[in-house]
Amino acid sequence: MPEADAIRLAQQGDAAAFERLYRLHSRRVYSLCLRMVGNTAEAEDLTQEAFLQLFRKIATFRGESAFSTWLHRLSVNVVLMRLRKKSGAETSLEEVTEPDEDSGGPRRDFGAPDLTLSGSIDRVNLQRAVEQLPPGYKAVFVLHDVQGYEHNEIAEIMNCSIGNSKSQLHKARMRLRELLHEALRQKAREERKAAGNAAGED
Amino acid sequence: MDCKEFLNHLDPWLAGDQRREARVHLRGCSHCRGLVEDFGALRAAARELSASDPEPPAHLWNSLRAQLEQEGLIRTGDEAGARSSWLRRLFAPIPRPALAGAYLALLIAAAFAASGPIHRRVNDYRWVQDTSTEALRAQLNTTETATVASFRDPNPVVTASLHTNLAIVDNYIALCEKSVREDPQNEIARDYLYTAYQQKADLLAQMADRGDYGR
Repeated sequence: MPEADAIRLAQQGDAAAFERLYRLHSRRVYSLCLRMVGNTAEAEDLTQEAFLQLFRKIATFRGESAFSTWLHRLSVNVVLMRLRKKSGAETSLEEVTEPDEDSGGPRRDFGAPDLTLSGSIDRVNLQRAVEQLPPGYKAVFVLHDVQGYEHNEIAEIMNCSIGNSKSQLHKARMRLRELLHEALRQKAREERKAAGNAAGED
Repeated sequence: MDCKEFLNHLDPWLAGDQRREARVHLRGCSHCRGLVEDFGALRAAARELSASDPEPPAHLWNSLRAQLEQEGLIRTGDEAGARSSWLRRLFAPIPRPALAGAYLALLIAAAFAASGPIHRRVNDYRWVQDTSTEALRAQLNTTETATVASFRDPNPVVTASLHTNLAIVDNYIALCEKSVREDPQNEIARDYLYTAYQQKADLLAQMADRGDYGR
């Protein structure tokens, strides 16, 4: 069943159409939630909540935006609301990112010149670094670099300007770069220490 | 082109728009070269992350469907037909009550493999032969008491969410049992009921897993 037909039938309460829409989009929504919260049980709960909200509102969908953009907008809102509740405060998108630290010019204090991320990022350390990002950065990074959305779509999903989406993505990448470089330096220190210990034992 | 201008061109550069003035800047700027190299690696690793995206667990749709039914968002007439054919396809060669029982036994036995006396009761396959819904329900109630009593999860959000889902499935079971009581010969009503029991067993198994994890 094509997506457009499934949407029309779901608007009439057709069970098979609901399931079709769920099957079409659940993997991406679940992944988004999982990357955002880093916990499978909570990601399941958030996915269920996002689809519930979607199906409750599906009668109001008029096709002004792509269905997946609409669904992702709901999903991101559900996740951000949960994260705000957890942090115990009502915050805006700006606040779930971080205060503007740079004036737009490139920072020159990242990493030692001899360290490069090329060939050294695996899934585990990338996911660990992503988990340390503020929620707003995390959402833009996951949507753009992991899920492949364009800035105009992210602007619609996150209810912000395209420029804001670009700037958040740049900051997210810079922060990830910093975190991953730090992880590399830490690993190098541990290896040196282990080598020193082994030499001491000989 | 200076560093600031190159930075503005970084995304198009990574996407393949490597115009001449950017190339010239990059040749003479080790800082921007490092940035391009690291961001390129980051982007490639992010795409790999996407390729490994997991599927949501199967019980999620069951739980969502139960909630949609409870809220009356799903049109029940068509839905009943769809569910019936889905169950028929899945369970066709096996008598449904026996299959539901076996499914419960499998799930609960796996979840409680190392957790004390209930294990022995669950692994006793005599109850699988009992096709009455009362036996299934009694078994689930016993399991629920033991699971809820031993459930520990460090994350209160997860705990609240599992309890909410349990309450939803309980409501769903109550509705299904009412339908079966009103019309004991109705096969579709029984299908609903066995599916509801199945969902509850699934949830309890999940709670038991998390309970073990939380300890």
